[in-house]
Amino acid sequence: MNLQSIASLSVLLLQQMCVYLVVAYALSRTRLFIPLTRASIRWPHRIACYLIFSAFCIMGTLLGLPVVSGNAIANTPAIGAVLGGLLGGPVVGLAVGITGGLHRYTLGGSFGLAASIDIVMQGLAGGLTHRYLIKRGKTRLLFSPLLAGGLTFVTILIELGIDLALSRPFAEALDIVTLIALPELIANSAGAAVFVKILLDRRDSIDRQSRAFSAKALEIAAHVDGVLRDGFDQENSMRVARIIYEQTGVGAVAITDREKILAFIGIGADHHLTGTPIASQHTLHAISCNEVIFADGNEVPFQCSLSPHCKLGSSLVIPLVGENRQVIGTIKLYEPKTRIFSTINRTLGEGIAKLLSSQILDGRYERQKSLLLESELKLLHAQVNPHFLFNTLNTIIAITHDDPAKARSLLSDLAVFLRKNLKRPTEDVVLSEEIEHTKAYLGIQLARFEDRLSVEIDIPEPLLGVHVPAFTLQPLVENAIKHGTGQMIRVGRICIRAHQDGQAIFLVVEDNAGLYDPQPGGGGLGMNIVDRRIKNRYGESFGVTMACERQVSTRATVRIPMEALT
Amino acid sequence: MTALIVDDEPFARRELRRTLEPSKDIQILGECGNAIDALTRIHVDKPDVVFLDIQMPQITGIEMLGMLDPQTMPQIVFLTAYDEYAVRAFEKNAFDYLLKPVTADRLELTLERLRNSFFRQDFSVLPEANHLRQIPCFSQNSVIFVKASDVEFVEARSTGIYVSDTDGQERPTALRLNILQQRTGLLRCHRQYLVNIDLVHKLQYLESGLAEFVTQRGRVIPISRRLLPEIKERLGIS
Repeated sequence: MNLQSIASLSVLLLQQMCVYLVVAYALSRTRLFIPLTRASIRWPHRIACYLIFSAFCIMGTLLGLPVVSGNAIANTPAIGAVLGGLLGGPVVGLAVGITGGLHRYTLGGSFGLAASIDIVMQGLAGGLTHRYLIKRGKTRLLFSPLLAGGLTFVTILIELGIDLALSRPFAEALDIVTLIALPELIANSAGAAVFVKILLDRRDSIDRQSRAFSAKALEIAAHVDGVLRDGFDQENSMRVARIIYEQTGVGAVAITDREKILAFIGIGADHHLTGTPIASQHTLHAISCNEVIFADGNEVPFQCSLSPHCKLGSSLVIPLVGENRQVIGTIKLYEPKTRIFSTINRTLGEGIAKLLSSQILDGRYERQKSLLLESELKLLHAQVNPHFLFNTLNTIIAITHDDPAKARSLLSDLAVFLRKNLKRPTEDVVLSEEIEHTKAYLGIQLARFEDRLSVEIDIPEPLLGVHVPAFTLQPLVENAIKHGTGQMIRVGRICIRAHQDGQAIFLVVEDNAGLYDPQPGGGGLGMNIVDRRIKNRYGESFGVTMACERQVSTRATVRIPMEALT
Repeated sequence: MTALIVDDEPFARRELRRTLEPSKDIQILGECGNAIDALTRIHVDKPDVVFLDIQMPQITGIEMLGMLDPQTMPQIVFLTAYDEYAVRAFEKNAFDYLLKPVTADRLELTLERLRNSFFRQDFSVLPEANHLRQIPCFSQNSVIFVKASDVEFVEARSTGIYVSDTDGQERPTALRLNILQQRTGLLRCHRQYLVNIDLVHKLQYLESGLAEFVTQRGRVIPISRRLLPEIKERLGIS
């Protein structure tokens, strides 16, 4: 035994420790390590801590170097045991120690028992230090490389003492301890310190990344807040695309609806024109399958579908999801061929898409609410339309002289009409109720314009029981009279029909005036509200369509889904 | 005093007639359901007073005023069920109006006013009364409304006044040339002609020192010697 063999053993042990640390470093790049970077009291984290440090503890023993014909092992399980206790607390420390100790005991040798007890002691020492520091509020010190190194140094000294005390014959034990003392002290202390340093660096890098990410995400969120609430159209999409383009620094940003490009900004803006239909297969796939598509240009090929000279080399397509998980469009981030798509931008892109989706949804909800309000206001207005009311009263006064029975029937029509307007729910009603409301209104109008108006109602019996949104038919009939037959000198004719075609119900109101004015506001406020209410509720394929043959006829057709109503 | 009732609702006409009947000095000449019929009746029967509903199909009561000759116009009493704008305009300018349903007391006040003074009614504060949106023209069985902006020119012949529109259709109208000149943007270029200056293609000088308009459709409209300097000045080519 001489200095030379101590030195060579030290070098060998340091080499083994390096392997150990390389494994630690590699693991630190995985999510497995995240629970170790915080002093957590949660059990799942503690269990993760126990498992990882037990593994390191066992690895430290396995990587050790047998000395003196295998009677003892110069090794580094102390790192796992001490750090397990230091970072996980006394319970974790003890558990790691017992696990590592049992493993060491199975390997045997004259130092076997002593070494096992050493490992338990080291785990416990780490745990007690943990408790001491937490109680003193010095949590930060848990992650001090100096403290970890120092603590390991002390526990190794104790370990050597235990070895001498428990191993027999004493002379041999002394020889072994003299041989391994220095290498173990150096390797374990340095190893523990470096291990903690790796953890610290990992934690800092996670913090740094998430700080940068949060700042960027928050900034984008603050800028785009509310823009799409006003409507998912070209103008608003362009504003959002510009913000994302400026904040993320990607090559280009595009926003599409289900059919066309709503906004495009950045490289390639010369041929990716807004308003043009979507040409990219990736985008069409993302829309139809509601999937995020990442075409990095390597594994998944990317080629701009519009121009072979396009400088864009990779694209990320994220669906914007609306009601009922339906894709309403996409947001697309691009990078040029000269740049790699960064992970942070990928994650950000998905976050932004979620944010925008919920904004669009919120906006639609708000608009729907305001539409409801608007229609309610309109209804309130209709209830007290003084012109209609006073003209009706005037008619009733005139009729009272000549035909009291007719006057009574007219008063009951007026009562039904007013009651329906005042007390009706604004949601669904059965079609027969809607017809009753319309008939009461028509009863009054027929009395007022007896020589100038005729009405025909043809509703098949089975359809009378289906549910329709309230105030769907009466406003259309009112519209046909006010803007149609009411403007005619000859006799006006109004025809109300209903039929079913597949899964849709059609309500048709036709007049013989043919005076419909398709300009904005020309159709009458009531009709526009009916249309918007139905579209908002059932989608763009439903609602009111107008057909007009000048001076001959105007036909308003309401399309409502059958399955949603019955 | 002779009176005409103009309202598009038959029961409203009947009720007014009933309310008017006790007044022995009122002779009701008839009832009309729209402004077109009313124009004809006014020209033929020349009533002293017209009870005129405001809201009527195609031509409102106020628009109808614009089609009457101010010189021979009867007294007008407006009828309205509820028309905030009209009521405000009337109140400010002391036109007489009756709110439906009309009460006998209120009607008596109006009649009293009509009997006592033939006050001059000034309709200039009602913008619609001085401006014709469309010109009612007679067709075989109906009345066609030609937008004033679609009129190419108007010609007075011995058989009546004829309106020619941009489609080349020519239709007679009951409105007089001077009313059309005052209430539309048409330009008087001849004793017998009004022309829509927006639809004129060129002004052509003749050897006699006279001139004529050629419209975009190629129709030639004469310009009278007397009106030529005025027209040239208005067009800025003097």
